[in-house]
Amino acid sequence: MSKNNCEVIRQELDELMLYERSSAAVAEHLRECAACREFNEKQTRLRQIVGSLGTVSAPPDFDFRLRARLANDANGAAFHFWPLARRGLAFAAVLLVFVVGAILVRNVFNRPAQNSEVADQHNTPAPPRPVPTVESPQQPNPAPPLLASSPERRPQPVRNERPARIKRPLVAEDFSSQRAEVITAREPAVEFEVLPLDSSLQSFKVSLDDGRGNARTISVPTISFGSQRMLQTGNQYASKRDW
Amino acid sequence: MNTLTTINELGFAPALQQDVLEDTTSDHALLEATRTGDQDAFAELVSRYRNQITSYIYRMTNDYDGAVDLAQETFVRVYRAADRYQRTYAFSTYIYRIATNLAISELRKRKRRKLVSLTGFFQQNDGAEAQELNPPDARPLQDSELVDTERRNAVQRAISTLPEKYRAPLILRDVDGRSYDEIARILETSEGTVKSRISRARGFLREKMRAYL
Repeated sequence: MSKNNCEVIRQELDELMLYERSSAAVAEHLRECAACREFNEKQTRLRQIVGSLGTVSAPPDFDFRLRARLANDANGAAFHFWPLARRGLAFAAVLLVFVVGAILVRNVFNRPAQNSEVADQHNTPAPPRPVPTVESPQQPNPAPPLLASSPERRPQPVRNERPARIKRPLVAEDFSSQRAEVITAREPAVEFEVLPLDSSLQSFKVSLDDGRGNARTISVPTISFGSQRMLQTGNQYASKRDW
Repeated sequence: MNTLTTINELGFAPALQQDVLEDTTSDHALLEATRTGDQDAFAELVSRYRNQITSYIYRMTNDYDGAVDLAQETFVRVYRAADRYQRTYAFSTYIYRIATNLAISELRKRKRRKLVSLTGFFQQNDGAEAQELNPPDARPLQDSELVDTERRNAVQRAISTLPEKYRAPLILRDVDGRSYDEIARILETSEGTVKSRISRARGFLREKMRAYL
């Protein structure tokens, strides 16, 4: 008996319903093949056992409990939106977290970007501007501020922590590419201030706004012409009051 | 002249009335009536299928209380979805499909919940669930009823160890006696797949039930 034939016969036996009569060919094969006969007996026995499980009855209060469940569902129908609402709330929470995170990340990345923007503006040569002359004394040409700032903004104390976010646009001008003002001989002498010698006793102070509302004061130390040193090294025997 | 004639006068009243009666008691008609708010029609549907569905889910899950709960959930879903029901298949196919899906969901939930199993050492590599730690008693039993009970328990345990994809078609075929075609529609798969799975499920069972065959 060929193995293929046995497989076909067993498959056919498998597909039969329990107690269903097999075809004549299958019956003929079972008479001749002991292995298939044994398979059929075991299979039939197994299916009898499985079929003997039968039907399990529902409990007597099945209908009552089902009615109660349906009634509860009907009463709670107004709250059926809760699963949807719960999903909506979860989605809103996720969205909120995402937005807050995006804002924080944007703040973190914006600070260096602003600094680099300022640096770029410093590095970019400004277009040549017409050089103003001081020929017209009625129109004094004040030097442009290094950093544009609103004059009404109060200077804030310098703190060690990171400065607050700048809300106004930061403008910087590069004067390195600009020509200095030309002072010609035609300028009247009135333009030049004659400083007294004792003015060097005062320190020279320059106050600057750093663009963040902070006032920076640069103090230039008192100018010394070195007269004392010259007297000591040049003419040691001369009196100290002589030049 | 009255041109209207009654059905009785036409002479085929009994047959027509019988058809109408059968139509009103069919599953489809009962569900139609349920859709219109007829509670009695739904109660009739429940009384027709409650035992079948409870038994089927019980064979799938091997847990009677859970099976009753899931059977009730099946009917609740039928009731809620009565408006959307379409007569594409038989109602029995429809309700068995719901019950199958619920039972399989329950089995998967249990599998997730089972973190540590004492029987985990006896799991097979073929994807079957844990074997029972209760081998068949080899001692002879005098009472044939006890023998039958023991055998039924053993086969129920053996079925509950089958993978779910083999379990459902085997129960539908060998316990409920449904046709391959209907099983294929319930499980939403092909008839060939159903035959193959049933054959493999019987092979598994033969191995597990060797002592009883």
